[in-house]
Amino acid sequence: MKTLFQIKLGAWLIATLLLGCSTVAAQQVQTSRLELSSLDHLSAKASQTVDVNIDERLIRVAAGAFSDKDADEREIKKLIVGIKGIYVKSFEFETDGQFSTADIEGIRAQVRGPNWTRLVNVTSKKQGNLEVYLLMNGEQVAGLAVLSSEERELTVVNIVGPIDLEKLAKLEGQFGVPELGIEKTKDKKNDEN
Amino acid sequence: MRSLQIRVITVVALLALGFTMDVRAKGDDFNSIVKMIEQFYGVKHEGLPFLAKAGMKVGRTAARVKGGTAKRLAEAGTIKLAVFEDQNFNGETLKFRSTLNAALNETWLPLVQTLSAPNEEQSYVFLRQSGDKYNVLVITIEQREATVVQVTLSPENLKRLLKDPEGTGKAITEEATIVDQE
Repeated sequence: MKTLFQIKLGAWLIATLLLGCSTVAAQQVQTSRLELSSLDHLSAKASQTVDVNIDERLIRVAAGAFSDKDADEREIKKLIVGIKGIYVKSFEFETDGQFSTADIEGIRAQVRGPNWTRLVNVTSKKQGNLEVYLLMNGEQVAGLAVLSSEERELTVVNIVGPIDLEKLAKLEGQFGVPELGIEKTKDKKNDEN
Repeated sequence: MRSLQIRVITVVALLALGFTMDVRAKGDDFNSIVKMIEQFYGVKHEGLPFLAKAGMKVGRTAARVKGGTAKRLAEAGTIKLAVFEDQNFNGETLKFRSTLNAALNETWLPLVQTLSAPNEEQSYVFLRQSGDKYNVLVITIEQREATVVQVTLSPENLKRLLKDPEGTGKAITEEATIVDQE
């Protein structure tokens, strides 16, 4: 027969294990959140800076605000359910050469991890470079990063949580996600970053 | 008996402390932010009474501010407005942004922040939950004028804000400050 001490010890062990598992899960989600503050210094040179932070709490607010009864709202709700955050930093400059390769590399370095995948054949109606990266957690997409750069414009979009390009395209122009002009994509992936 | 007294005093003190903390947590950030802007830029705001003295159509404005007209974004009677006119808001936008974010960090969620260098225009939209409603704080600063608006949003307009944070933030300021021409 188990003593009270043994029962308590067992309960503590289970609780500790559960806590450990939830911490690991939380860390896995957090890894798709990019550190964008390295770009903050560009605000001083930019003619226009936009900084959007829609974190998990706001996403929950949004999900709760949109009704299941209305078809349009149901569609929006479907788009954002499960997303843990939408973060956008966008800079416009009046002259060329205001941001450096090092600025872009600072972001690229974060998406070079083993679970990040760069998507190819992403085309944009806008001119310039468009790079899209997905963070895979097994078969699941755990996050997305878009790096769009032109001569006088730099935009980084980071979506934390399950998202795909179809969803991203639908989010354009909403929830602070800029119009990236993503036209058509396939599931082809290129792991060579 | 003495033990009972101590317990009563402790409970009263804890209740008082709890109340104070609650007031601090949900306190009037609007006034704090207005004061912060005044101190940071060395400016002084004008409230509605000043606008009345200035000969503006305050009756209509007040009606609008109290939620008396149609097309409003805020729920009736929930608008707090401070206007800074014809004063200098020069430079230090980045320093101001970090000071503002630090001040509101604990109770408000930053939704969207924009800086426009050519006209030194800054705009900030913060959101916080207040029971089952949502407060929005919109701060707009230009070279010579600024506005601070706090409103409570109806659920319908909350959706609008979340879908288009920048545009709706601007609309909230416009709705709160515009004086109708009659």
